[in-house]
Amino acid sequence: MNTEYAARILSTLLLTSVLLLSALPAFALDVEALIRQVEQQYMGASSRALSSMQVKTSHWDRSLEMEAWSLDRDYFLVRIIEPAKERDVATLKRYREVWNYLPKVDRVIKVPPSMMGGSWMGSHITNDDLVKANHIEKDYNLRLIEETETDFIVECLPKTDAAVVWGKIIYKINKTPQVPVRVDYYDEEMVRVREIHFDDVQQIGDRIVPMRLTVLPLEKPDEQTILHYRKLVFDLPIDETYFSLRNLKKP
Amino acid sequence: MLLTLAFRNLWRNRRRTLLTLSAMVVSAALLILALGVFSGMFRDMLASATEQYYGHLVLAHADYHERRDLFAHLDENIASRYLPSDNTAITGVSPRLRSFGLISLAETSQPVEVLGIIPAREQQVTSLQTKLIAGGYPADEAGNGALIGQGLARRLRVRTGDEMVFVTQAADGSIGNDLLIVTGIFATGDSRNDNNLVLAPLKWVQQILVLPGRIHEVAMTLADPMLAAPTADRLNPHLPDNVAILDWGDLLPEMREVIAAYDVSRMIIVTILYLATGLGILNTFFMSVMERTREFGILMAQGMRPWTIRSLILLETCILGCIALAIGLTCGAAMTLYMQQVGVDLAEYITPVTYAGGTILPRLHAVFEAGNFFVPAGMLLLVSLLAGFLPANRAARLDPVQAVREV
Repeated sequence: MNTEYAARILSTLLLTSVLLLSALPAFALDVEALIRQVEQQYMGASSRALSSMQVKTSHWDRSLEMEAWSLDRDYFLVRIIEPAKERDVATLKRYREVWNYLPKVDRVIKVPPSMMGGSWMGSHITNDDLVKANHIEKDYNLRLIEETETDFIVECLPKTDAAVVWGKIIYKINKTPQVPVRVDYYDEEMVRVREIHFDDVQQIGDRIVPMRLTVLPLEKPDEQTILHYRKLVFDLPIDETYFSLRNLKKP
Repeated sequence: MLLTLAFRNLWRNRRRTLLTLSAMVVSAALLILALGVFSGMFRDMLASATEQYYGHLVLAHADYHERRDLFAHLDENIASRYLPSDNTAITGVSPRLRSFGLISLAETSQPVEVLGIIPAREQQVTSLQTKLIAGGYPADEAGNGALIGQGLARRLRVRTGDEMVFVTQAADGSIGNDLLIVTGIFATGDSRNDNNLVLAPLKWVQQILVLPGRIHEVAMTLADPMLAAPTADRLNPHLPDNVAILDWGDLLPEMREVIAAYDVSRMIIVTILYLATGLGILNTFFMSVMERTREFGILMAQGMRPWTIRSLILLETCILGCIALAIGLTCGAAMTLYMQQVGVDLAEYITPVTYAGGTILPRLHAVFEAGNFFVPAGMLLLVSLLAGFLPANRAARLDPVQAVREV
């Protein structure tokens, strides 16, 4: 094989890959926006939500009333209102850190990395979910794998250098209104381990959001967590100073 | 008559006999001492594993034995309800509730294991009260005192009287959390216990886990730890189906193997040492038989039967063995006693080593164990007889006519 021929093949290959790569972002941008919109549907620029959470496990049934505030995707504060025993237990998320406030001992405790995979308030939502859900399009490569008459199906595979917990995430998103229907989470062995279903779609201001989400851990078929938004207000005049450790302690 | 003759023969060459005797005495005595120290080491290891944490027997739900499932709990009175009360072999019974969580103090938090115990009962089972470096067990059975390990205290920078927050997932799904006050600090040398273990009152742990009246396990101690397995087999039929008693050998299979391996290695050590001693005895008696060839010839010519000659020599070695045994056992026992009472402290030179779930303490310390005396004693007699057998045979087979002519 002469060198000229080899060089020509090489340059063709290079050109093709450059073309392919440059074509990719234009296509991916659309999906990224779609996923970001889904993940931030309850947040907006800022939000305040009153919600109730029902947790059913083989060991306990819990029902919590909570109030939550958020700003962008990086700040999140939630405080328990009911039951009385757990009143004022609160969680604050700032970027990738999570703190809990425990009124019984009047202490703020930072959730250590080893506990990030642990259950949040005894539900099927983990601390990691609070931190990482909003970074899906940063940690995963997104791809539209199917488009039906009513839905988009988007597959998310983790980027090689991302520290993530899921092996794959599949979003099923309704086209009009553009709301999520279902999200499937796969573990590293590509076994589907969790589903989140969305329903009770309502118009809140100029947004349309599903007001209820149900988390189903597939390994435990009898268990579930239902999070039901009762009241949702978007675009409040709050800034990041609201999400301070001091505010975490003070109801 | 034969006995007197054998005695006289032995003392004819006094120096040689005494030298052989001293070799036998020294090997037996040192062997007994070494085995006593080995046993002491294993006893330390077993004690560190059982008396610092497990106990000799542990009663728990089958699921709890397997995977420490928080929800595999039992009624706190299970031991008194099901176990026969006339059990004198059981010297301590301690109900426990276990919780894994975080101890937090300002910015630092440490993963810990909190063991809910009744201090007075726990002290019958574990011996942490002898390993205290500050304070002691929580005095109040319903309070929030805590006895913690030295490593944990160091990492959290706490002293007795300091407050810590314990956080865990309670059995009702809530975040179990409360303050603990350090009442004591222990140092066992076993890093797992020293860095992770917190002992708090049972009632406090029941309240934080929202498991009132419940426990995870009952730890028990026995007068003789070596009887743990048969005792467990005897007690298990009394218990409900889903509850089982495991002995320390089940909880620490490596430890059981270490002790089984010890029995084998004891035989090997004894064999090697006595092989050398046996050759010494053999040499002595061959010499003595050769020297007495003429004498044996005369005895035989006068009508002594070959088997009498054989018995005479075997009797000589046997007497030598018995004397060596008496002195050797006495010396060995005396040295073992010294090492048991005083011992040698090596803490300056080496740190504790954790192996097979137990901790080898930095000390030489002996214990008395029947096997450590019987095995060397029996082997010494056997070796003496074996070493006497060849020379005795040779003497018995002498032809009197030729023997008399030997110079």
